[in-house]
Amino acid sequence: MASARTTRRRVLTAAVAMAAGLSVGTGIAHAQSSKEVPITIVINQSPWFDGFQAVVEKYEKETGNQVDLDVNPFAGSLEKQRNAVRSKESPYDILVMNAGFFIEMYQGGFLEPLTDVDPQFKLDKDIYTFDDSVYWDAKDKRIDAKSGKLMSVPINPYIPLLHYRSDLYKEKGLKVPQTWDELLANAKALNDPPQRYGIVQRGARGTFDVTFDVLPYLWSYGGGLFKDQKGGDFTVTVNSGQSEAAMKMYLKLAKEAGHPSTAGQTQTNVIQAMATGRAGHIIAVLAAGTFDDPDKSIVVDDVGFAPPPHAKGYPSSPPLGHWLGGIPHNIPKNRQKAALAFLNWFQSDKAQRAYAEAGSPPVSRAVLESDMANQQKYRWMKPLAEALKHARLTFVIPESAQVLAITELRFNQIIAGDLKVADGLNKMADEISAVMKKAGYKAPELEPLKD
Amino acid sequence: MGRAAAASDRFWRNVTLAPALALFVLLTALPLIELALLSFHDVDWAGGVSTWRSTGISHYVALAGDNLFRVSILNTLLFSAIAVTGEMVLGFFLALLTTSVGRGRTIYRTVFLLPILMPGIIIGAIWKLMYSFDFGVINEIVTLVGLTPRDWLGDSHFALASIIVVDIWHWTPFCFLLMLASLESLPDDVFEAAEIDGASYWQILRAITLPLMLPSILVTFVFRLILAFKVFDEVYLLTGGGPGTSTEVISFTIYRRFFTEDRVGYGAAMSVTTFVLIAILIVAVIALTRRRASTS
Amino acid sequence: MSVTATRQSTFLRHALLILAAIIVLFPFLWITAAAFKTQIALLMGRVLFAPTLHNFADVLFSSTSDYVRNFTNSLIIGLASTALVLFVATLAAFSLNRMKWPNWVMHSMLGWAVIFHMVPPITLASAWYSMFRPIGLDNSYLGLILAHATLNLPMALWMMGVFVRDVPGELIEAARIAGAEIPTILARVIVPLVRPGLAATGILTFIFSWNEFPVSLTLTQRQTATVPVAIGKYAQENTIAFSGMAAASVLSMLPAVILLIIAQRFIVRGLTSGAVK
Repeated sequence: MASARTTRRRVLTAAVAMAAGLSVGTGIAHAQSSKEVPITIVINQSPWFDGFQAVVEKYEKETGNQVDLDVNPFAGSLEKQRNAVRSKESPYDILVMNAGFFIEMYQGGFLEPLTDVDPQFKLDKDIYTFDDSVYWDAKDKRIDAKSGKLMSVPINPYIPLLHYRSDLYKEKGLKVPQTWDELLANAKALNDPPQRYGIVQRGARGTFDVTFDVLPYLWSYGGGLFKDQKGGDFTVTVNSGQSEAAMKMYLKLAKEAGHPSTAGQTQTNVIQAMATGRAGHIIAVLAAGTFDDPDKSIVVDDVGFAPPPHAKGYPSSPPLGHWLGGIPHNIPKNRQKAALAFLNWFQSDKAQRAYAEAGSPPVSRAVLESDMANQQKYRWMKPLAEALKHARLTFVIPESAQVLAITELRFNQIIAGDLKVADGLNKMADEISAVMKKAGYKAPELEPLKD
Repeated sequence: MGRAAAASDRFWRNVTLAPALALFVLLTALPLIELALLSFHDVDWAGGVSTWRSTGISHYVALAGDNLFRVSILNTLLFSAIAVTGEMVLGFFLALLTTSVGRGRTIYRTVFLLPILMPGIIIGAIWKLMYSFDFGVINEIVTLVGLTPRDWLGDSHFALASIIVVDIWHWTPFCFLLMLASLESLPDDVFEAAEIDGASYWQILRAITLPLMLPSILVTFVFRLILAFKVFDEVYLLTGGGPGTSTEVISFTIYRRFFTEDRVGYGAAMSVTTFVLIAILIVAVIALTRRRASTS
Repeated sequence: MSVTATRQSTFLRHALLILAAIIVLFPFLWITAAAFKTQIALLMGRVLFAPTLHNFADVLFSSTSDYVRNFTNSLIIGLASTALVLFVATLAAFSLNRMKWPNWVMHSMLGWAVIFHMVPPITLASAWYSMFRPIGLDNSYLGLILAHATLNLPMALWMMGVFVRDVPGELIEAARIAGAEIPTILARVIVPLVRPGLAATGILTFIFSWNEFPVSLTLTQRQTATVPVAIGKYAQENTIAFSGMAAASVLSMLPAVILLIIAQRFIVRGLTSGAVK
């Protein structure tokens, strides 16, 4: 019943959209210079939001087009976007979507492929595609750069980086670590509790918290949650020998040089620990602006950045926590066109530079590797560019939230010592496999780990 | 009374009830009926179109075997029972104390009401910082008096207790307010008579004050119990349900299923089950207190 | 009881009350101090600090903040939804208690109020959004006013019911014999007599509306966002901007605190004269 109603609505919407499209159709060719209808962007508040707003203001000034920002607490943004794309006509023209939920938007058919808005539109060659996450093959329902259509323009390149105390490194003559073992040695050297912990890790259970912290370990040991998500092999590998070794390294760091209550640490705690000089290392999404602001930190200019460490023989493998800008399907053509005009401007080199200068990490390789990167203020640019080379998507399936509900709880219990590593990983594998099988995937399990 | 008057009465009777009825039907009954229907379905989205797929009672069957749901119900029961009892007892004694002093009564009254003015989300943020292991003021006080500092929110032994403390701080004022109002409206002559008879303070409290206040104590208790069952804002900011499942409460579990995981059918089944449970609980509480009141 | 014993017990009572007051006030003092600190001074737990007005300036004047507008929105929505709730609840309370409805009507209305009150508001928020969006009531004052009125109606119905029941039946009868119609009786007899109840119910309703977060978040956008939504934004993706949040919170509590100081005697008097008997 509900679906019939929605279909009828959609037919109507499509008719209206087509009529609107016809009337403005001729304008598409010179979209960039033309005056556009006002648009609204739904976005969440974040440390990089100020930079984004500065760029938006620049756009308004340069083009005379109007852009409204609906800024939300981080927790509320997804719900608002979901509500918007499921209604008859979305109040928003651009959705700023997190790596954690853009698949849901792709899969549900809620977004308009950008090349359907304007066949001429191309992603600038300097813009990162973040493990091809901007392309979606609607027929096969998967991320694919070749068969997929361009669905979004990246907005922010959030990935975890190793943050270390460069002043203490100099003092103690330490070298930036490449492997987890080197990190462990350095963390031990800086460990001086309770004044300072060698490393502070995020072990708290949340929506995508402890799992996001554990993934760089799992992947860089050759483990993971699934064998090959993008390739469609959903064999659950969270209880492989590699995953177990990775988890043991995580716990070793926590035990020998970490915070006494790692299982209780949130991202907020972790960043605070660094800002207040309580942490020798953290692995966290880039928070350069915070640490170089004397109002927010006592370690101004004393934080260095590097890609997350890795096990011998594997590359550093940070999970992507990036943001993508997409255009809803359920808005009239002229609004889609105005939205695309903004995204197109946003990916230009000058906009990306302005974005970086306003304090947000840009999504352009050209800017990250430009001479800007030599300035002390932008010392995070090179490590970020380096880390992005191997950064991977965490999930390419819409069942991610259900899987995360499992992993968040179990990883947290393992870190808290409530579960033994092998038991916890085996349990997790059983539960993940059950969820996946119920959703219709082939998700075989490995032999359970033994103690 | 004439027929015309009766007709006019009936007209006004309907008119005066109509607005409330309209709000209830449109904004509460419709969504709740939808919620109930939803609990027998799964909703899929494809190509921007939703389809409702009937699942029969499978959500309810799954619920019976859902460990997290069971844990969250138990946690919520524990949380509500301890927090609300604490709030009632503290609120009652604060009200007694406040009415018993002459000077400063207005000041105390104002101060004790302050916490209900704070949005839950701010309360969560403040207490999160105060509980902080490394630089929280609570650990500073704890160290000062010679005890070991703890990770109040990060240690599964303390997390739920820590949240209960916050809830007591937040909601005792509400109980205080209703207890105070009830105390002040008790008839003076009974007390005077009792005092003349030479009854002690505690005797009067037990034999007269408490029984007289019982109805309002009951109403406050039930009202608070319902609110406590819905606790969300504080847990969301303070612990997010962790560590482990130690602070997983029912609103939060529903929120996760419903929104984060977007399993609306299952979330709806959870909501329906929860409020049937609350309804049973409240009826039981009322029946129990009524019976005790009538036997004593 | 001897004089010294009385004095001792008075002293003890004050001591207990003052202790309780300190526990209640501490977080308020703490957050007020926090509002004048920089984030780092706050995190370091510095007791001595150079006070800054920067947080307040940021909340009130920075281009990323719409605080003044949020504040106005909250006032409008709080006042309007309170007025609506009082109007609807008083009428309904009168109707149910004084207009000889069959018993089942009264019980089903009040029973429904209790049941509705049990549902976590978050599960209603998205249902309301999908109802409001097609008729343009999302992102509008009216939509949120209706939502808040509905959320607070059970409590108001319950409180006003007690007050209306307390109005002596003879007064109403006398007015009827004098030929007064129902609207006149409501305006001239009922409302003046339940005024303390209206004050008490109104203040609680206003405070609950002023603090409500999840439904406001879902139903508003930038133009209509309320203060708690604005404060929620300080809880960012991976940090909490505590000092900004503190400043916004202190500002947000001002009207409620003023209201409480002026009106607390009405609340207590209002409740005393009926509600929880």
